[in-house]
Amino acid sequence: MSSGPFTMREDHSESLSTDASVSKARLHSVLDTAVDGIVVMDDRARIILYNKACERLFGYSAEEVRGRNVKMLMPEDYARRHDGYVKHYLDTGERRIIGIGREVRARHRDGTEFPIELSVGEAHTPEGRQFIGIMRDIRARKAVEKRLAQAQAQLVNMTRINALDEMGAAIAHELNQPLTAIMLYLQAIKRKTDNINSLDDTFASVIEKTVKEAERASQIIQRMRQFVEKRDPERKPVDVSELLKECLELASLGDASQEIELSLEVEDDLPMLHADPVQIQQVVVNLMRNAMEAVKCASYRAVKVSANKTDTHLVIAVRDSGPGVPPELVPDLFKPFSGSKRRGLGLGLAISKSLAQNHGGDLIVEPGGEQGGAVFNLKLPLLAAGEAQPAERAETI
Amino acid sequence: MTIHIVEDDPGVSDALALLLASIGHETATYPDAESFFEVNPPGDRDTVIVDLGLPGLTGIQVIRWVKRLKHQPRVIAISGQSSRAIDRLLDGETADVLLRKPLQEETLLRHL
Ligand SMILES: Nc1ncnc2c1ncn2[C@@H]1O[C@H](COP(=O)(O)OP(=O)(O)O)[C@@H](O)[C@H]1O
Ligand SMILES: [Mg+2]
Repeated sequence: MSSGPFTMREDHSESLSTDASVSKARLHSVLDTAVDGIVVMDDRARIILYNKACERLFGYSAEEVRGRNVKMLMPEDYARRHDGYVKHYLDTGERRIIGIGREVRARHRDGTEFPIELSVGEAHTPEGRQFIGIMRDIRARKAVEKRLAQAQAQLVNMTRINALDEMGAAIAHELNQPLTAIMLYLQAIKRKTDNINSLDDTFASVIEKTVKEAERASQIIQRMRQFVEKRDPERKPVDVSELLKECLELASLGDASQEIELSLEVEDDLPMLHADPVQIQQVVVNLMRNAMEAVKCASYRAVKVSANKTDTHLVIAVRDSGPGVPPELVPDLFKPFSGSKRRGLGLGLAISKSLAQNHGGDLIVEPGGEQGGAVFNLKLPLLAAGEAQPAERAETI
Repeated sequence: MTIHIVEDDPGVSDALALLLASIGHETATYPDAESFFEVNPPGDRDTVIVDLGLPGLTGIQVIRWVKRLKHQPRVIAISGQSSRAIDRLLDGETADVLLRKPLQEETLLRHL
């Protein structure tokens, strides 16, 4: 038995063969109302049937293509190999596309190429073997995929930059302590030697130079710190619901999301948030990725994002059905390099927390465990109408 | 006239004490707020240098405690954190002087 939708239609029309012309008319009206392009060709690749949707898709009318080789609808490179494909199938019966379907490129009359999803079926008719192709224009889908991929790349990039920032800040902080000690020690010894006249000149000048070098190191640290700290959030009014929808889209990219139930629940009438949308998105997507990773081995895999408001704050919660955060990780969870994964630096939560705090908010964990998965709460301050952002406090030094 | 140094990093604490002693100050060092609270409270001619990032009781709790004393010593807060993080740590409280690490001898001496 042959397969494919065409066969079914054939059978159907045969059962109505008492009035062949009626059934034929009906078949054509069905074909012409189809949204997808439908082409039927014979075993020599000549077009027998070409529906209305195809006219829109390819720019040729049905009269123009009837009897011509189907290659005219393909870009050069496919067209060149098509005869070979058909012959190969007819000779060997080996299926490459029939009954499988795949994404290919098609060519419009004006020469533009566009992506389509093509599925091919086969029918055995009194006139010989025929092939039916159903074509769906996937330009719109492709455009969305591309936009998402770009957004994700940007997000990955942001994460990298922020990871460097965070690392820079961590290094600056860690180096500060010993550097402070070194400078103070040197200054103490310099003071002592200043009072000793008999001291060898080289000795005094080496101490002098060492102090200078330590000061140089300290200036480098200070500059690094200024650089790292300058990246303030670029705030603008943000529609929370829209923002979170995009987060779900971003997080569901890639195969990891396949069998995970992602859901979103946003309280009605949330006020606009005054925040840096890219940074907030980065935090939420980070949390969702962690959650999706955590539920991977669970029997029920769900990640739920919700947004609610309190009197003063907006709370975005990411909860999952995973095993919770291992107790031994909890104390240092938000510190850099705290992760338990072989892949991944363990920077995600550290960065997320610092982004939240840069917004005057915070990131808090309910580790879960016995009772269920982890919940991460991102709290962001809501401003009363007309209230301005608090100004940064002036530097003390 | 004693300078009390409350700082958990032994290197910073020791170096600070050594430098101040070399200038002729009397110093006392404490690795944390708890051990500072155990001794007699400082007098108004003393100075307290306190690191904001202490383990256990925080530097800010030291500042609050000192600010409630009848005879208040001068308070110099030191921190290696970012100014934003310091804001959060201070939580509205003020020290007489706030210095960021790495400490420079000059800046420090100016405030003594
Ligand atoms: N939703 C969660 N459930 C359980 N454990 C989690 C969850 N989110 C984070 N963790 C744990 O916290 C660690 C640190 O996370 P993160 O800072 O994002 O770094 P990374 O993901 O690179 O390891 C993870 O390695 C994981 O062990
Ligand atoms: Mg992570």
